Amino acid sequence: MTGVMATSAAAGRAVPTGRAALAAVRAVPALQAALAAEDAAIFGYGVAGAHLSGSRMSAAEQDWTVHNEARDTLTAMISALGATPVAAQAFYRLPFEVTDAASAAKLAAYLEEGVTRAYLGLVAVSDRRLRAFGALAMQGPAERAAFWRGTTEAFPGLDVPG
Amino acid sequence: MLAASAAALPALLATTGCRSSDLFAGPDPLAGRPALSHDVITLQAVIAAEQAMIKLYQAAVDGRLGVDDLAGLLAEHRQHLGRLQARLVLPPGFSAASPSAPPFASPFASPSASPGAVPARVTIARLRAAEQASAADLLRRLVTVQPALAQLFASIAASDATHLAALGG
Repeated sequence: MTGVMATSAAAGRAVPTGRAALAAVRAVPALQAALAAEDAAIFGYGVAGAHLSGSRMSAAEQDWTVHNEARDTLTAMISALGATPVAAQAFYRLPFEVTDAASAAKLAAYLEEGVTRAYLGLVAVSDRRLRAFGALAMQGPAERAAFWRGTTEAFPGLDVPG
Repeated sequence: MLAASAAALPALLATTGCRSSDLFAGPDPLAGRPALSHDVITLQAVIAAEQAMIKLYQAAVDGRLGVDDLAGLLAEHRQHLGRLQARLVLPPGFSAASPSAPPFASPFASPSASPGAVPARVTIARLRAAEQASAADLLRRLVTVQPALAQLFASIAASDATHLAALGG
């Protein structure tokens, strides 16, 4: 992802060298943050899904699948940079109690907002391709957050003072 | 003391390898206005495009286009514009208008439309095309600017994407 890559004979995988290695060092924490957010979303949708039914349940299942695919993509990207992908936690503390469909939808929106923020972090790295990846990747969770929240917002992922 | 310091300056410069023009280099009043930075020029173009988007939405609201919460989407575009304009600080003598992108020379303006023209009838398809073009334009531009500005562009592009979904399709 950072341009110059070399093949490590020992590991048998591409690792960055020189300036690319420096860029990778800066990119890896942002990628790890995105991966952690995806892992949290995968867990959270499991909780939210238990309180949803019908088309909302189907939407949650679809979103859960999307987050699993994104996790796999990020895991591969982090590994390609020579780092070890952060492991998912066994349990995540929820920001509030989820007891019904309304709180489940609220949790889904909360999770998507977290993923949106994490991808926005990637837009700050120097690598242009990672920037473009982060900017594009945040659009999906921003759309899903709007769906679960029921409203759009002017600045997804940004903390904007009211 | 001052006289001694001034007298010693040429010798000091010589020993450090500096010329007085290196030390005192600054804006040359005879050289004309300095060029604006790439980020500023990009920001001007994005502001012009956002202004065009607002005109389009305003025309849609005025034309009572049957979309739920069209005014809400318009309000968010006005927030985008406010935030973008807050980032634009120009030296005296420069115009806030984009030199390269006059109002409505936006990526989503109709090829046949004259600059500044608002279509007589704004359709949902037109709004959708405008949102899509705006998001794509921001994604293209954000890789060339400083990170903080890039993040603002990315956030606005994501907002445009949510508008696209809100407009249906």
